[in-house]
Amino acid sequence: MPDTPPNDEAHRLQVLFNLDILDTPPEERFDRITRLASRLFNVPVALVSLVDADRQWFKSRHGLDVLQTHRSMSFCTHTIQQDEVMVVEDALRDVRFVDNPLVTGEPNIRFYAGSPLAAPDGSRVGTLCLIDRAPRAFSEEEAAALRDLAAIVANELAAVELNRALLIQRESEAGMHALIDYMPEGVLLLDAVGRILFVNPAAERIFQRSTADLLGQSAVTLLVNRDVRAMAPPGGLPNLQAIETLALRADGSQFPLEFTINRIMMGGERRVTAIVRDISKRRKLDDSNRATDERRRKYFATATHELRTPMASVLGFSELLLKRDFDPATGRELVEIIHRQASRLVALINQLLDLARIEAGGKESLDIRPLAASALIEQTLAGLVGLGDTARIQVTLANTLPPMLGDADKLQQALTNIVSNSIKYSAPGSPILLDVAPARRAGGPALAIRVRDQGIGMTPEQVAQVFDAFYRADNASTAPGSGLGMTIFKEIIELHGGTVELSSTPGSGTTITMVLPAGVST
Amino acid sequence: MTMDKTILVVEDQDDLRLLIRLTLKQLGRVSAHADAREVIELVRTERPALLVLDVWLGAGLNGLDICRQLKAGAAGHVPKVLMLSACGQQSDVEAGMAAGADRYVVKPFSPESLVKAASYLLAA
Repeated sequence: MPDTPPNDEAHRLQVLFNLDILDTPPEERFDRITRLASRLFNVPVALVSLVDADRQWFKSRHGLDVLQTHRSMSFCTHTIQQDEVMVVEDALRDVRFVDNPLVTGEPNIRFYAGSPLAAPDGSRVGTLCLIDRAPRAFSEEEAAALRDLAAIVANELAAVELNRALLIQRESEAGMHALIDYMPEGVLLLDAVGRILFVNPAAERIFQRSTADLLGQSAVTLLVNRDVRAMAPPGGLPNLQAIETLALRADGSQFPLEFTINRIMMGGERRVTAIVRDISKRRKLDDSNRATDERRRKYFATATHELRTPMASVLGFSELLLKRDFDPATGRELVEIIHRQASRLVALINQLLDLARIEAGGKESLDIRPLAASALIEQTLAGLVGLGDTARIQVTLANTLPPMLGDADKLQQALTNIVSNSIKYSAPGSPILLDVAPARRAGGPALAIRVRDQGIGMTPEQVAQVFDAFYRADNASTAPGSGLGMTIFKEIIELHGGTVELSSTPGSGTTITMVLPAGVST
Repeated sequence: MTMDKTILVVEDQDDLRLLIRLTLKQLGRVSAHADAREVIELVRTERPALLVLDVWLGAGLNGLDICRQLKAGAAGHVPKVLMLSACGQQSDVEAGMAAGADRYVVKPFSPESLVKAASYLLAA
């Protein structure tokens, strides 16, 4: 019967395995016990024997050179079947061991006494045992002393587990601290009345206060509105629910803060953890998104309005022509209006598409090449001949000009828009001066193109809005145009990395200067 | 149909002013003006039965404000107001009605339906 493993053998082996002690080097804390046992009981051999699946392995061996033996010849296998000390006073007189190789050969065991070692859960993982080469008696007192020593060994075994648990806990605590130290969120630990017990580095950064400055303070002093209850629904601040409020830095500046609290029990005390985030950046982004949305909404509303206006003429007059009778002259006049407004509608749609393309395409949509300013101006003026009276445009080019770096078509479109404005908004025959000179921009070579007219000019209010989409200084039907020309002009120049400057005086004219990056003069 | 009723039109677009005049002349005397700055004065002097008013009037003027002022009696005579505007979103229409407009017609408009809306207001 003792040769068959007990029912809970698998569990016992698992417990032994979990002790993680098998095949570890000798340790003084066990060796001193076997040494003591050998001396106390006056036996040559004392062992701490751990009974593995098919062997017994000696964690400590006093007076024996063998590291382990096969389990089939193990005395200890029998010992761990019982709670009590097992004593074999003379192995040659015990049928269980009379043929045992350890009895018939080395180490010629005649006497054996073993006390089982219980792991913390009670599993008997091995023995503390005594061996003699001569038979001897073992008294009840001796058995009690061996049991006591075995209990000390069992404590040491338990300590292995305890130490490991402590180490794991220490490591996981170190990990937690590192985690809290490097968290981007501020972490504060508060006592039951809200005084700060702990802060992490992120909290120091967020409030721009040192730990020393923060500890012991009431956490609500960090908030602009200290009445935290007012922020919460009746029943108090809910756990783990983000709340946004304004907080204070050390210098008194305010910033938007999001915090989450959680009430916990720590070492039997009521504590509150608070996780805090500076949400200034998020707020700024939200605001800028809102502003962009608002701009888009306004642009859309205006674009729709501007499209509907010429459509009203086209639709209205064509319906009148279809449903009413007009004399031929009036009829023709109305058709002319329809044609004019339809053309305007097409021009507006083209400009809307232009602007959308320029904005969506960005810099990549430009075909940047070196350009001669003279050629650009020549082509621009040639395209304006239809507007008449281009002879009053006086062009002055500096003697040596670096080549411009730009998209020829786009720059011509930009220049056309401002020169045609000068023509439209100044008296026929009054001079328009267009001059080009070398300049510097962002530390690099550049070219300044200036267009000056002596036209009606603009008030400061008009100047402030002139680049807004659909803005028309006169807002009258008489001046042709979509109100997109200046917007497109500025968009093109800025896409080239250039700048636009505009100065205007009502009654005496407008000057627009654009500075565009240039190549090196050749 | 009463030919003696005056319809005051304020529209800064020349072509549209002509379109409205041609459309509404069958309903009464159409007095059409480009400049919105004189609207309240014109209502005081011409005492129109109907005012056709845009929302975006230029020169910083807003047809909604003018409508509100007229309906509050700013001109000593309260005409029916037909807002005629290219601001055609639901919220624009609601803002117009909230300002006291009697009708809100969106540009582009069918002349026939403008005639219907105007004659309805003139008959009321």
